[in-house]
Amino acid sequence: MTNRKHKSDLIILFSTIILMAIGLIIIYAIGPMRANVLNNTYGTDYDSNYFFIGQLRSVILSLIAFFVAFKVIPYKYLQKYAKPIMIVALLLSGLLWILSMSDSGLAKCELGECRWFSLGSLSFQPAEFLKLALIIYLADFLSRKKAEGNIGKWKEFWLPLLIVCGLSLFLVVIAQGDLGTGVTLISIVFGMLLISGVPTYQYLIMLLLTVVFAVGAVATSSHRMARVDAWIATLTGSESSDSTYHVDNAMLAIGTGGFFGVGIGNSVQATGYLPESINDSVFAIMGETFGFIGLLLILLIFTAVLLRMLKVAEHADSDDNKLVVTGVFAWVLAGVVVNIMAMTGLVPVTGITLPLISYGGTSMLFIAFAIGLVLQLSCYTSREVIRNEDISSRRRLRGTHHASRRRSS
Amino acid sequence: MSRNNVKQVYASQSGSKSTARRFHVLKNLVLIAMLVIAGRLFFIQIIEHDAWVAKASEQHTLLETIAAKRGEIYMMDHGEPVAVVLNQTTYQIVIDPAITQKDDIAKVLDDYAKDYQIADLDDIYSREGLRYAIVAKNVPRDIVEKIVAAEVPAVWLQKTNQRVYPEGDLASGLLGFVNAEGKGQYGVEGSLNELLAGKDGLLKTTADVNKVALSIGNENIKIPAINGENIVLSIDRGLERGIEDLALEAINNTPASNASVLVLDPNTSKVLAMANLPNYNPANYSSVEDASVFNNYTVDIPYEPASICKTFAFSAAINEGKMTPETTYYNQHYEEIDGWKIWNAERRSSLYGTLTMRDALYWSLNTGSIHALKLLGDNPDQITKQGRERLFDYYHNKFRLGNETGFELFEAEGYIPDPNEGWGRDSTYANITFGQNLGITMLQTATAFSAVINGGTWRTPSILAEKKLTESVEDKILSDETSAMMREMLIHNRNYKVRQGVDRPGYDIGGKSGTAQVVRNGAYDDSFNELVGSYIGFIAPNGEMPEYVIMVKMWGEGESVGSGEAMDLFDSISNYMIDYFKIRPGNE
Repeated sequence: MTNRKHKSDLIILFSTIILMAIGLIIIYAIGPMRANVLNNTYGTDYDSNYFFIGQLRSVILSLIAFFVAFKVIPYKYLQKYAKPIMIVALLLSGLLWILSMSDSGLAKCELGECRWFSLGSLSFQPAEFLKLALIIYLADFLSRKKAEGNIGKWKEFWLPLLIVCGLSLFLVVIAQGDLGTGVTLISIVFGMLLISGVPTYQYLIMLLLTVVFAVGAVATSSHRMARVDAWIATLTGSESSDSTYHVDNAMLAIGTGGFFGVGIGNSVQATGYLPESINDSVFAIMGETFGFIGLLLILLIFTAVLLRMLKVAEHADSDDNKLVVTGVFAWVLAGVVVNIMAMTGLVPVTGITLPLISYGGTSMLFIAFAIGLVLQLSCYTSREVIRNEDISSRRRLRGTHHASRRRSS
Repeated sequence: MSRNNVKQVYASQSGSKSTARRFHVLKNLVLIAMLVIAGRLFFIQIIEHDAWVAKASEQHTLLETIAAKRGEIYMMDHGEPVAVVLNQTTYQIVIDPAITQKDDIAKVLDDYAKDYQIADLDDIYSREGLRYAIVAKNVPRDIVEKIVAAEVPAVWLQKTNQRVYPEGDLASGLLGFVNAEGKGQYGVEGSLNELLAGKDGLLKTTADVNKVALSIGNENIKIPAINGENIVLSIDRGLERGIEDLALEAINNTPASNASVLVLDPNTSKVLAMANLPNYNPANYSSVEDASVFNNYTVDIPYEPASICKTFAFSAAINEGKMTPETTYYNQHYEEIDGWKIWNAERRSSLYGTLTMRDALYWSLNTGSIHALKLLGDNPDQITKQGRERLFDYYHNKFRLGNETGFELFEAEGYIPDPNEGWGRDSTYANITFGQNLGITMLQTATAFSAVINGGTWRTPSILAEKKLTESVEDKILSDETSAMMREMLIHNRNYKVRQGVDRPGYDIGGKSGTAQVVRNGAYDDSFNELVGSYIGFIAPNGEMPEYVIMVKMWGEGESVGSGEAMDLFDSISNYMIDYFKIRPGNE
């Protein structure tokens, strides 16, 4: 039933490259400001090109990863090693946790959260690897369970799933304090579950339980609750305070941009007013720089990528492939929607980067690799999905086909 | 096998139908999310755009005044200007409590700038969200350099300018001070504030979060500051110091609590000394409890110099050709005018009868100056309208008493009563001849007195060594002969001082005293419990024109300070000045 290999999805291919290029341009424009602010405030000694060179390196590495996933490593191999990959990913996150608790120099911490391995000048964020691993693992797991007919069964299906997902979430949200990755993981899991064929009522119950659990986790943590308070303050337009400072300034940047933006190099918010201007808040800086028109174009590119991914998923020639592509889709969707909504005050700030654009090596590398996989799988889609849905005609068609073949053999 | 196969295909196909529906859900999810975001962006970027721009400009615009450097004040010392008020640049230490570590800044302040710390760190660090706090003020440069070397993050400096007074409290009443807002108050600082202050510049620019100006934006404005001008006073520093020392000694040894001294060059009307004791410390003006010490009594406060004014009444009558020092009149110790008996202070019996006007001035007889007024009115028996008008013309228009002199500093105008308006003009004008019932400043008195003795020319007084800020008037108001007669009588007044050995031989020192009753509740206090003593005089080498006019005023609230105390101070000042200026004795 495998389809013949055909051309990859060009829209995803070019959109990915364009988004990376936009990220490179914006970091080129505001990187010197960022360096200047850090130098003035913390007495560091960043060269004005430091961040651009860093981003350039990330983009080059990410493009390599992108094409390796696209052309070099057949997904079948990854599927074969899904379980070991997942175990390695969990072990890496676990190792980081242990290192951070033992105050090892190998664990790099910022603002009290330890999310990076540090090897000299190189740093690596295992949570990004964990996202990819979880997608590969769940695709394999869910498609196997489907083939076995065990979908929806407690012991065979839900229990192992909950253990793997729970462990992943614990390592990311509790051990690393990375709420953003937690949201992404949940988005990936529920995106893939939806396509796995889980009965609707079970899906909705799980979703409800997750929401209840998440609300509980937020309500019981003062620093997470503070973010919600800040979000409510932003929504209701209350007095700005320290806690609303980030979103206030993100919206200030976006609002200042107006229709056409202030132009490249003219962002004032990037000169230190807006926190995380080169990574989590880069969308707001783009809003200031490129204006409504520019943001709309970027949204359009992301929308195109997401819809094309859905199309690739829908037309993928196996459940496993469908699930992998859906997982990557959910990853990108979570990044785009949660990041932008936080910057526009629609949801609380969780600290999530904007895929392919934000400054940062590991996250770009792995999401580029994941999109590369989608592109690889886009070469094996069937053109006509309608045919599959028309059961009666299909059966008839296939029946005669089989019959004739059998007869002739 | 084949049935099983069919079943599986069936299941997968019914599955793919629901899967397709679920993909549809995801597709819609994407579209809805993107539409919500696009709508939100439209709202923020298009609808709310102006409000955000306004807010951004508030946040990004750095409006900073570029402080103009305040001019310095100099006095003269042997012909060379020397600074008496200078500027010193000091620094404010500012921290960002969100970045600066409390322990770090506490240690730096403890080590170097404990004396300058103005804020409690515990208090600063207990306030949430504080990004800016001044922790130390008036920190001198050498200490600031040590603080900078400590490299504590997010600590920055703000320059401030501070006035410093190398001569301490010297001439504080004349100089004034600069308040916390940088505005000059009282004295030279207050009067010439605009000149000294210059004009602050303005910097309006888009700035980054650390308040560093950016080149972004095209509404940046920079107007440079115009520095204030330096001012050189004609005051002689050494003379001022010497006079203040003598005056302080005088108020310490007499019932007087205050003394003001004014020294003029009568030929230029340049002020050489202007002292108001007690002084205050202008660097610490805020600790002064009684604001009256800020007054420059020589120009700010009109008063009654009393019998000193007989000089002016006599000058008027002589200049009008109505009398000479030899003119005689009949003294009976009092005059009755408008039903009031006006008595002489000196009523010894030997003075009863016919006296010359020279004697009347010597003994400071009120009847004598009233007689001069009568002569002015061409009627030796009574005061006339013409007499009053002529005296007013001399006092007000020629001597410019009760008029602003055109001096560079703030001055009170004072007043001379109108010769015709109001009741009891004759008695009022009788009083004016001996310096009561009017209000004039020491500066007006000394300037008019200079005209009396310098050959008859009134000149606008000035305290600036060279610069001209006001129009100078030179007015020949008395004849040379009048002036010479007045000098002769004034020197005659002090004959006994020469005999006593107070005045040194070889010098012509002339003078006139004045003791004024104080007006209490609109009437003269006849109990004589509070008196203001004044003395005015000049110094000249024997037979030459006077070079210095000295006026002294001493008083104390509720104290009876007569002209005797003032004269004693004059005596010591005149002798001091002969030494200080090395005035050579004359030939005669």
